[in-house]
Amino acid sequence: MSPLPPRPPGASPAPPTAPVMSLRGIQKTYRLGQHVVPALRGVDLDVLAGEMLALVGPSGSGKSTLLNLCGLIDRPDAGRIELRGTAVHDLDETRATLLRRDALGFVFQGFNLVPVMTAAENVDFPLFLAGVPAAQRRQRVAEVLAQVGLAEHAAHRPDALSGGQRQRVAIARALVKRPALVIADEPTASLDSHSADNVLALMRALCHAQGAAFVIATHDDRLTRRCDRVVRLLDGRIEPEAGGALEVHQVQNPQRSAA
Amino acid sequence: MSPFAWMRLAALNTLRNRRRSLVTVCIAALGTAALLLAGGFALYTYQSLEQAAARDSGHLVLGTPAQFEGEEDVPLQHGLDGVAELRRRLLADPDVRHVLPRVAFNGLVSNGEKSTVMMAVGIEPDSEFAIKGPFLGVSAGQVLTNADQGAVMLGAGLARNLKAGPGSGLTLLSATTQGVLNAMDVQVKGVFSTGIPEMDQRLVLTDVATAQKLLDTQRVSTLGVFLRGMEATAPAQARLQAAHPRLQVQTWLERAVFYRSVRALYNRIFGVMGLVIGVIVVFVVASAMAMAVVERTREIGTLRALGTLPRQLLRTLALEGLLLGGTGAVAGALLALAVSVALLVFPVQMPPPPGRSEGYPLQIAIEPTLYLGVLVLMLKLSTLAAALVARRTVRKPIVEALAHV
Repeated sequence: MSPLPPRPPGASPAPPTAPVMSLRGIQKTYRLGQHVVPALRGVDLDVLAGEMLALVGPSGSGKSTLLNLCGLIDRPDAGRIELRGTAVHDLDETRATLLRRDALGFVFQGFNLVPVMTAAENVDFPLFLAGVPAAQRRQRVAEVLAQVGLAEHAAHRPDALSGGQRQRVAIARALVKRPALVIADEPTASLDSHSADNVLALMRALCHAQGAAFVIATHDDRLTRRCDRVVRLLDGRIEPEAGGALEVHQVQNPQRSAA
Repeated sequence: MSPFAWMRLAALNTLRNRRRSLVTVCIAALGTAALLLAGGFALYTYQSLEQAAARDSGHLVLGTPAQFEGEEDVPLQHGLDGVAELRRRLLADPDVRHVLPRVAFNGLVSNGEKSTVMMAVGIEPDSEFAIKGPFLGVSAGQVLTNADQGAVMLGAGLARNLKAGPGSGLTLLSATTQGVLNAMDVQVKGVFSTGIPEMDQRLVLTDVATAQKLLDTQRVSTLGVFLRGMEATAPAQARLQAAHPRLQVQTWLERAVFYRSVRALYNRIFGVMGLVIGVIVVFVVASAMAMAVVERTREIGTLRALGTLPRQLLRTLALEGLLLGGTGAVAGALLALAVSVALLVFPVQMPPPPGRSEGYPLQIAIEPTLYLGVLVLMLKLSTLAAALVARRTVRKPIVEALAHV
């Protein structure tokens, strides 16, 4: 992966792998009483199809804000966001919701499964929302649950699953509709190291198998080591590397290289 | 998307906090039962009073307009003539089953030592008692018959006042239709109670012939027209009024002052009660749903992030309210039904109402339209309450909802 500086007007040809999401000049501020707190101060970032991109940085650096903007659950104050070449930064609520439903997946730190639904029903929910016929849904849910190794737990409710199993259900839910982009917020933070390793391996495998891009906010070094790219944020900006490169620290991932 | 799937999700959600849901359902059930029992009691009372009023006067009452509008200078000044022909014509109507004459007059009744004011009514005893059934509580003696000429029945209070009983001789005094004072000796055949002490202090029943003889006339005050059923009242009134344009045909409702007063009073009492119960149910369902919604704020944020539209979430949460309110309403309806049937099997006597001397059986009308109306009302109220409290949360910014602790 190469660094992606802001694209000047009329510039250069498209990169070899098309970005699934492109952010340019993103600014976001929060108002806390009388104080205005800048969360992002002009961020440019491309997320390429099929890559695992880690967002790292200290608390308050803007990771979560950037993640929310990538997930279309928040809007920037300024800047432009494109999803597969279409501007999405100023969509109204309904269109943003439908786009999230159709093109994005989410994995949360606390799993955020619906407790009254079984594992299969949780995984099925995005397909149900999208109006996929029941027979196709059943087939696809069984397929994805098998991919995450939970075929035998399909009828279990979340409270009957371990933390690692719940996160695998959440990953299955995120990937069941074959999204272009999966937003993952600290997906291993609530897991023990063994479960975290399993979940990471699974995300990695599914990322490559399905060609979905992952944007992952994390503090977990084990996770960043497995990502294709690591973007470090500091004070609302993408931090240049010590050598002077603008934003990206590329990880030489042996699995990725081998693939 | 299948509405059944949303309903199932709503049902599962109601089972999350079973105790809270149970309390909500119980209060909705008690509210529904209270509305149905109170409404059923009011309906039973209305129906009883309607039938009593129609039975007392006839479904329709025929008289001269002046008879209904003004006071008479002398008895039967505005009475009806040609009663036999009039009855024949009235009985020709397909809805008319009976026509009973009535002679109403005032005067004095005396036992020779003591005189007191009376309100007297001349009736056709055989027809009157045959048609109306046992409408009087006879406490002594027997009811009048057509064969009894010069006999009377006294109200219980009046009999007590005159120290009279069956077989006692009394004298009736009244002005004739010419304004001349007339007197007639009569014999007491029986003593009765209407259930209204004021009436029992004054009322004297006699036969039409005796009354007409005392008043020296062939007229009657009014004709009571008894129809095949209450529902025939309005059409029959229109027909008879058209057939007798010089007379006035009033319905039982126009003459039933007591019924109208009771109905107006009960409507207000039960209306306020219904309003209070409705408000309680709305608050209980809203409170339960508010707690459920707040507890699930993060989940709501998650579902929105996954692509659920606010209106879909609102619908699911409203369905939860509907399920809670609906379950309570059905349970309340069953409870009300059971109580109503139990009162038929095990009668409970109510104490006499104000102004009455006799109690009445406590019964609750089982009226399908009332049940349907209350069920629909409870469903609407609980659905609306749930939707109102959920509205803000489902529109909360997703980032805020996901950060909710």
